[in-house]
Amino acid sequence: MGKEMLTGNSAAAWGVRLAEVDYIPAYPITPQTEIIETIAKWISDGSMDASFVTMDSEHSMITAAGAASATGARTFTTTSSQGLLYGFEMIYTVAGWRVPLVMVNVSRGLSSPITLGPDHNDILAVRDSGFLQIHCETCQEVLDSVLMAYRLAEDERVLLPVMVNMDGFYLSFTREAVEIPDVEKVRSFLPEYRPEHAFFKAARPMAQGVAVLGGDYYSYFKYQMHLASQNALEIYKEVCDDFERIFGRKYEVIDEYMMEDAEYILVMTNSFSTLGKAAVKRAREDGVKAGLLRPRFLRPFPESEIKNALKGKKAVAVIDQNISVGKGGIIYSEMAGCLYNEIDRPLLLSFIGGLGGKNISQKEFEFIFEKMISASDTGIVEPPSLLYTESELEGITKLKEIAGKE
Amino acid sequence: MLRLRFHGRGGQGAKVASRVLGTAAFLDGYNAQDFPLYGAERRGAPITAFTRISRDDIMERGLVSDPDIVIVMDETLLSDPQAMPLSGLKKGGIVFVNTPLSPLETKEEYGIEDHVITLDITKVSLDMIGKSVLSSLAAGVASRIAGIGEEALKGALEKELSGIISDRDLLGKNTEAALYCYNTLVPVQVKTAETIREKENVITLPFETARVSSPAINATGNTPLRRTGNWRVFRPVWNYDICTRCMTCVSRCPEGCIRLNEDGYPYADYDNCKGCLVCAEECPVKAITKVREIHSRSEEGDQ
Repeated sequence: MGKEMLTGNSAAAWGVRLAEVDYIPAYPITPQTEIIETIAKWISDGSMDASFVTMDSEHSMITAAGAASATGARTFTTTSSQGLLYGFEMIYTVAGWRVPLVMVNVSRGLSSPITLGPDHNDILAVRDSGFLQIHCETCQEVLDSVLMAYRLAEDERVLLPVMVNMDGFYLSFTREAVEIPDVEKVRSFLPEYRPEHAFFKAARPMAQGVAVLGGDYYSYFKYQMHLASQNALEIYKEVCDDFERIFGRKYEVIDEYMMEDAEYILVMTNSFSTLGKAAVKRAREDGVKAGLLRPRFLRPFPESEIKNALKGKKAVAVIDQNISVGKGGIIYSEMAGCLYNEIDRPLLLSFIGGLGGKNISQKEFEFIFEKMISASDTGIVEPPSLLYTESELEGITKLKEIAGKE
Repeated sequence: MLRLRFHGRGGQGAKVASRVLGTAAFLDGYNAQDFPLYGAERRGAPITAFTRISRDDIMERGLVSDPDIVIVMDETLLSDPQAMPLSGLKKGGIVFVNTPLSPLETKEEYGIEDHVITLDITKVSLDMIGKSVLSSLAAGVASRIAGIGEEALKGALEKELSGIISDRDLLGKNTEAALYCYNTLVPVQVKTAETIREKENVITLPFETARVSSPAINATGNTPLRRTGNWRVFRPVWNYDICTRCMTCVSRCPEGCIRLNEDGYPYADYDNCKGCLVCAEECPVKAITKVREIHSRSEEGDQ
């Protein structure tokens, strides 16, 4: 169909349309609303054939999506931020049902204070639920990832729900040129979902997620989910190969930018990685051997790929666009856990940046590279720090003065 | 790369203008990115939207803090302490202002030192479309300043507007008005240098007690001192010779900003009147007329 200017939200909607989804339970929340608006419009004007139901809350929405998925219907739903938290209970529940539901989360910082700007505390809050997580940098990647997510979720060796994540505003409302795949090609990549055990039928009543009342049973089911999730890494490679063969675009579990001879590496996820890549390019112009590694999956966590990519590097700075209050950056902890037993491991630095969509400026990237270089010269790694500038502190000080807080 | 920033008010069409420009640049063979910044805002509130146009890959995201071109769709925003349309404008950058004033008068009025281009696109819109909706006109203006071709602009208007305007006649009028604006402006060369960013120190954030660091803070945008009188395109004006003091306008005002004077005649609190003109619509004897609001500092005392 060629290239079109699409927002991340409409790219997601196109992914859903091309995947020929059967059922979409929906509940709006900024900055996700445009996805369901677009789908609703297509269904009403006949350009998409699916059932669309507006629900009373995200809790019901995720329940309905899980139940429909269990009947064998290809199901999609989407939310953001506080909405995801409202449905949190059912996120764990439907993951335990082992249903191949695909859900787009449009990242937005969590309350309080309230904000609409993006960070990843919402999606990372459900990190351990059993949903696989694909994190996207561009609008194109959002569309492509929705298609790949169904392939992955519906694979018998996986059968776990998948979340595709995009940043609010920085992708959701940002338009850039996106290639809309041809519908016939999509059909050859993603055939109709024909579950071998579409078990949830009106004719055959049964209960989902029954009580097992025993640790030995419970352990078994939970660990099975873990193994299925780990399978997904290998299967994803097959999915990517197929995708590249049919559509010509190549994806991997990690995205490596100028990594080959790099010594100082940024680790970032999602749309702010574009800014990181620009910073890497500039650092290269200044003679710093910079590179960037972007995990596209956070669950399953691509441990061996990350270990390989970082072997022998001097220093790695993880920029977490999230904060685990009382601990620090979540991905930093994941990276440290991943690299701990490696003999030839790089120094690992931690920065928290871009919370609530706060910009990460070129100066802040330069600051990070300086810290990496000095750490590798001295062997001393400074404690984690928040990327926050003097002028930003002046701004909040002024705001507090207005509120009578001194 | 050219970076544009549109400043308008919710409902004026800044978002659509940035989209039309983005699509026009895309159709003209450039890499393009466009992005509106809004969330909880409503009609009348300051809104920004951005477009990036480049021959190279665009390795930026989010808001544009150092624009080459600023499009001001509502001149009252120039004196709005929150909107600050000129902030970060690069040396050699261009400011377009929607105003009946000449560029020279605008520079004096608002103390602008940069290259100013003006056109009363509100008037163009009222004359050619019949209402004050500025999206396609602002896109026409921006396309001209950014050096986008006329055919690409036409294509973009068709593509972007046909999704939101079903009336072909209205769509035609929009295109006509946009092209009028495009052709009225003299082509310019945008010659800006890349900004030299000032040193920003990354600091250690000090601990502060919850008494001062809890999020119960009033943003300046929410204080009662923030007046909305400059949101209007038209203001309601009462003719007391006809007015029967029936109070219909008082009870219909959605903002509750019409009161009665000592003689029982209604008057509007123009600081809070948003110019919706429900009062004029509802007045049984048509005692309320709408008067085009010309905003400039010299008239501020009048508001």
